[in-house]
Amino acid sequence: MKPIIEFQQATLGYGRKIVLKDVSFTIFAGDYFGMVGPNGAGKTTLLRAILGTLKPLSGKVSVGNLSASPLRFGYVPQRDTIDHILPYIVYEVVMMGRFRQIGWLRRPQRADREIVIESLQHVDVKNLQHRVFRDLSGGQKQRVLIARALASKPAVLLLDEPTNGMDLSSKTSILELIHKLHEEDRLTVILVSHLLDDVANYVKRLALVEKEFFQVGNVDEVLTAQNLSSLYRVPIEVTRTPSGVVILAGGRGDH
Amino acid sequence: MTTSEIIKTILQEFPFALYGSLVVGIVCAFLGVYIVAKRVVFLGAVLTQVSVLGMALTFLPAMAIGHSVGSLAVTLVAVLILSRWLAGKKIPRDAILGFVFVFSIALRILILQKAPKVEVSEIESLLRGDILFVTPQSFYPLLGVAAAAMLAHLLFFKEFNYISFDAETAGTQGFNAGLWEMFFYMIAAVVIAVATHMVGDIFVFGFLVVPPLAAMRLARKVKIIFWVSVLIGAASPLLGLFMAFKFDFPSSPAMVSVASIILSLSWLASLLRRGEV
Repeated sequence: MKPIIEFQQATLGYGRKIVLKDVSFTIFAGDYFGMVGPNGAGKTTLLRAILGTLKPLSGKVSVGNLSASPLRFGYVPQRDTIDHILPYIVYEVVMMGRFRQIGWLRRPQRADREIVIESLQHVDVKNLQHRVFRDLSGGQKQRVLIARALASKPAVLLLDEPTNGMDLSSKTSILELIHKLHEEDRLTVILVSHLLDDVANYVKRLALVEKEFFQVGNVDEVLTAQNLSSLYRVPIEVTRTPSGVVILAGGRGDH
Repeated sequence: MTTSEIIKTILQEFPFALYGSLVVGIVCAFLGVYIVAKRVVFLGAVLTQVSVLGMALTFLPAMAIGHSVGSLAVTLVAVLILSRWLAGKKIPRDAILGFVFVFSIALRILILQKAPKVEVSEIESLLRGDILFVTPQSFYPLLGVAAAAMLAHLLFFKEFNYISFDAETAGTQGFNAGLWEMFFYMIAAVVIAVATHMVGDIFVFGFLVVPPLAAMRLARKVKIIFWVSVLIGAASPLLGLFMAFKFDFPSSPAMVSVASIILSLSWLASLLRRGEV
């Protein structure tokens, strides 16, 4: 597999505050990569470094090309970072994903409109295109934001806490959708979550993120009781069953 | 005075008061939609006070520059600083704006106390502007500034909307959110500085806030909100000026009051639509 994102001894932070120190790992084309860790551990900081909106304080973060053009990212932010005062309709929100391609001083063309509709269809929310975005449920909003990311025709899909605050059925449905995009569309997916079970049963490779504890590897290697107990500083059990990984925290089976 | 006499008086004696208030009403109502959407409503009040401070500075003997130049220069410097402060998350936005607001007023009072040979009340009235005394010489520069501001917003409508809705994702697509924010605030600053000098701070702040709020109650689509806000921004000065002549009211408060009545009616309409009344 071709490496597309490489962290080499990268130290990340904001001003004088160091969030992650000397981080080294590689993400490959076609990867399904998860980043998990407690709140405030630096997952979003890693994501920003990948997206190029945060420069490393030292070391290097290289983002390669898959073709002649630069690697294109489709970013799905946390839903609560979006401001809801103005009532943008779903179609307008997804069209925003095309703005970079449309360019300055130009209006969307027929091809852009077709891509927007295709993207909505792809995530099964074409029927919502005339609805006001802020009026949608959490799961519907997440699908629309994924459609917006797809509208930019990305090579890599990055999702920041996509299932935060969702009920079980919405959460499962979103994770299945992301899985489908990876399997059927061969998209490289980077999924950030503080919810272990979201990530454990879907991704192929995993980064456990904490300032003093950073590990990367295949899910089976990294997702061990010892690693997770060190990461979260509570006793954690990891049980592998035929239907997936079960993670129990605190020894009471309440996770 | 009869209705036709009032209209005749306005058109013959104060045509530029009519045109000036119409232009400022429209451009402020348009920019105000973003200001309300960005949750920096108080920015309008702050920039009007900063602009007045800039004019006050020109009354000092050491600052021999035009009132408009002083106002514009100080407002632009304030915007450069504010756009960085407002992008941070450590200090609440309203606290930053509150500080600049009160500091501008305090400094203005101190400066005016030291301005030589002119009555403070006289300067205050000059600083605050008066719609009825808009002249052709002041109107055409205002028209130019307003047209440029509207043109910039029409050309970059999609970029301003994207940054306003989701600056973080826009940033990942190569849009420099900080620069676009600063561009927006610069446009707002120039409009506010020029307009405040001419029509006064009450009018400018009022029209940055009231028409957009009413439009957000009345319309359910973003583009329609801009249109409705502009429509209210255009209609309120016309009605307000008429009311000012009819009932011998001061013009700016009359215009802002008309816009506020429209806002109250829009709230009522919104409640009725939702069946809450």
